[in-house]
Amino acid sequence: MSFHRYLFLLLLFTLTACDDLYPSGEDKRAPVDTTVVGSKAGQIAPEFSLFGTEGNTVTMSVELAGADAIVLYFTMWCPICDSHMSHMRTQVIPNYPNVRFLIIDFVSGSIADSRTAQEKNGYTDLTVLVDDASEVETLYEGTMGTTVVIQNTGGQGTILMNEDYKDSVKLTQTLDSLP
Amino acid sequence: MFATSFEYEDYDGKWNSDGKYIEDDFDLKQYRLNLGYGYRLAPNWQASIVLPYVWNDNKYSGLETSNNGLGDMSLNFWYETFDNIMCVYEVRDVKDLIPAVYLGGSLTLPTGKSIYGGEVDNVFDITGRGFYRLDANLLMDKTIWPWTMIFEFSYGVYLERAVNQEYGNYVEPYDKQLGNRRKGLVSLGYTSFLKDLDTMTYTLAYTDLKEDQGTINGATDPTSGFEKRSFTFTAAYATMAKDWIVKGSINHSPRSDDWGRNFPVTNIFTVELIHVIP
Repeated sequence: MSFHRYLFLLLLFTLTACDDLYPSGEDKRAPVDTTVVGSKAGQIAPEFSLFGTEGNTVTMSVELAGADAIVLYFTMWCPICDSHMSHMRTQVIPNYPNVRFLIIDFVSGSIADSRTAQEKNGYTDLTVLVDDASEVETLYEGTMGTTVVIQNTGGQGTILMNEDYKDSVKLTQTLDSLP
Repeated sequence: MFATSFEYEDYDGKWNSDGKYIEDDFDLKQYRLNLGYGYRLAPNWQASIVLPYVWNDNKYSGLETSNNGLGDMSLNFWYETFDNIMCVYEVRDVKDLIPAVYLGGSLTLPTGKSIYGGEVDNVFDITGRGFYRLDANLLMDKTIWPWTMIFEFSYGVYLERAVNQEYGNYVEPYDKQLGNRRKGLVSLGYTSFLKDLDTMTYTLAYTDLKEDQGTINGATDPTSGFEKRSFTFTAAYATMAKDWIVKGSINHSPRSDDWGRNFPVTNIFTVELIHVIP
């Protein structure tokens, strides 16, 4: 078999193994059980408690009790995270005074490290929580840019959105839908 | 022609969305092995394929990850607009100043693991961008021994795609398109002859890369787009017959404001081996 034939077969094998080559716009979201605690939209939001970078403890249920909703944004202090957070700070947060915005730092291993990153990146005006044990990252299946909206549904939180920040349109649509 | 290169990219902070350089303490590395094969289709036509394999090695103070996978493959072709060798030893006529002009096209295939595929759970698994891209390329090369000047320009357009999952979780479907990409490069090289007429060539290049803002469902995504400007120094050894070439290069961007925007700041070290089959 000639070299070119081997190359063609390798190419064919490579192409068939990659699902990004065949993008799908089909809505494949499965129905979720809205009566249980989980990370999907519609489910009951898992409770969590984390230290903030100022040494204070922040508990979800306490924060939710004083707001219409909570927004969690997962940061790893990357350029995209900065772009999202900068946009959120100027274009989203001012429009929703009754919503609590919390930044989840899921890569720093201590309050001091997280505070340093927060200061270097110029976000001391935002509340940053230190998820050093990956507790909230796991509970909410968070990663870079994950944005979670938790609505106060009286005594508990309900997840309305859990996906990438993207251009913030989905986030603002979700926040606009709050009663 | 076979070409194999190994790249080591070391993260050293970022430019934020305002172009401000921010130093980080994170230890983030990416290694890439690129396997390339080129073939002359006709006297003036060349085609090539490049298949990268990517290793990510990330250390934050609270998290360590290590992953690997296939990167985004590219298919390329070049058309040489000239029939004769355009290198000269001396300028005797105006036509001696005419450069060798190459026109090319590239197709990038999303064979890597992106956030939109089902193979990733988090950002650390990513080895590709998830989009098809078409590039039109122009390369002008003028050698007046021992000096070589190169000008390169490429314009790339990402194809819009449907997205129905992010990090392996299905989401409400939407259409996304990354912004158009422009890359310009100018370089100046000096070649010295060694014994047996082998050569060493030293090249300094300046590259300007810009990607426009993309769109989501047809609306501009204000958080996307980036810029990066960098310098690359390359030393290349070639045998007299040019059938074996070994290159080493360092790509560096100044650690200061406005040399980039919305992009990581890195050093890239590359070693490349090229073998031309007679």
